[in-house]
Amino acid sequence: MNILKLLADLAATTPAHFEQTSPRRAALGELGRFGAKTLAAALPLGLSAVTAQAGTTTTRTALDSLQLALRIEQLQNALYVRALAAPATFFPTDASFQSSVVKMQAHQQQHATLLTRLITASNGTVPAPATYDFTGSKNNTQAALFPNVLTDFNQFLQLAQLLEDTGVRAYKAMTEFLSADDYVLQTALQLHSTEARHAARIRVMRRQRGAVVEAWPSPTDSSITVAGKTDVVYATENATTQLVFLNANYMAVPFRLLPIGSGANLLTESVPEAFDEPLTADAVEGLLDQFTY
Amino acid sequence: MQRRSFFQVAGATAAASTLVLAGCGNDPDPEPVVTETVLTLGGNGDYGILNYAYLLEQLEAAFYQKVVATPPTDLLPGELTYLTDLRDHELIHREYLKYLLVEYTSTGPVSRAYDAALATPLEFNFSSFTLTTRAGVWAAAQLLEDIGVAAYNGAGKLLVTGTNLLALGKIASVEARHAALAHEMLQTDSFGATIGPDGLDDAKTPVEVVALLQPYFPVTVSAASLPTS
Repeated sequence: MNILKLLADLAATTPAHFEQTSPRRAALGELGRFGAKTLAAALPLGLSAVTAQAGTTTTRTALDSLQLALRIEQLQNALYVRALAAPATFFPTDASFQSSVVKMQAHQQQHATLLTRLITASNGTVPAPATYDFTGSKNNTQAALFPNVLTDFNQFLQLAQLLEDTGVRAYKAMTEFLSADDYVLQTALQLHSTEARHAARIRVMRRQRGAVVEAWPSPTDSSITVAGKTDVVYATENATTQLVFLNANYMAVPFRLLPIGSGANLLTESVPEAFDEPLTADAVEGLLDQFTY
Repeated sequence: MQRRSFFQVAGATAAASTLVLAGCGNDPDPEPVVTETVLTLGGNGDYGILNYAYLLEQLEAAFYQKVVATPPTDLLPGELTYLTDLRDHELIHREYLKYLLVEYTSTGPVSRAYDAALATPLEFNFSSFTLTTRAGVWAAAQLLEDIGVAAYNGAGKLLVTGTNLLALGKIASVEARHAALAHEMLQTDSFGATIGPDGLDDAKTPVEVVALLQPYFPVTVSAASLPTS
């Protein structure tokens, strides 16, 4: 930690918290405490619009965040494991589709192993494997969202896209709670961009099969969500305004006045596409709950 | 010397040397220029890392602007639209970061962008790329985007302020999507080429990134003054 960073952290730290602060290299044992930056970032929040972009309606600890990350990775891994166990006719004849799912499953398994190690190292509780229903019917107690998810490859890709895009948003939101430890923060960022690469591949696969979808969340994507169930995945994702913290305030970046070109849809499509937004832990948990019973 | 004043001197050096080099171009019998132009990225607080990200986005934006202005003739259907989207995203990232580089001081807003004092922006050198074929364009895009992703992954821990961490994180995952797209355009099912055996995407330090990108910079760029932890 450089001295400027240390000073900034100290400036944003309450005396009680300061007394608890341990050397950074020992911080794996301290993941349950609230990070100094959590407090710093929480101070200026207040407006609902700001809160939505900041991604933090609830204050989380590093340990809570890693446990949530593990639950996401476990869910994704289970989906891919089941898909790969489906009859061979499930996958398209172009072998690259199945090959990509094999790669993604391997990554999710590695992520789960890594997160389990981090949680265990900090004396945290590893979440028990959940029971999943990938149709979204919660074991036939509500209408299915993807009734043929393990027989119709298009439905499988839709759910995979929702889960990978959710993973990107979840990691993005939790970085602020993981920032006290350089190793954990960088690992989370590396997981974050891995999820983004997965999401882009899934989106390209859907596009190859005729879906209207970009490699990044776009206002032009055809909707694959259900209101009140899965629409949280793209809630606030297509923001046309970016708020940045300058001069002790959140200010909207005046894209209209900046030299970003003159395309007809720059402000309504390109700006929302150019930024991926965070998603609160509460919202992520709500999405996971749709496929868990 | 305080970091901020050092940073301003470095910016001024780049400006002065650019003028010298421009003058030499029209001289029928030019004197050898021995002055080496060095851009030292730095600045107090997060301004060093924000300038580093700004430079990366300038490079990517300039690359796609050049490609879209003179696209290769063998692009497949839809590829020019993709490249135009990528250009627009990078232009937006560039201007977003430049906006973040404004410091509000007691005497008013002051740009901390490294090039705020330059008469003209840096002109990047893409001559080592083959931009006359679709394969060359996507290979160059893949290279630049992969480095960009690794740069953001390595830079997050160097930031002081949580709001800046989120601001760069919003860009980083879009860059990873760009990178995966470029991989897929070149070779189907290669989206995960940068993912290591631990399932993690690449991360690089600013010094590593600047060394990789130096061939495309018109001045020597030094990341040695940026934070390392």
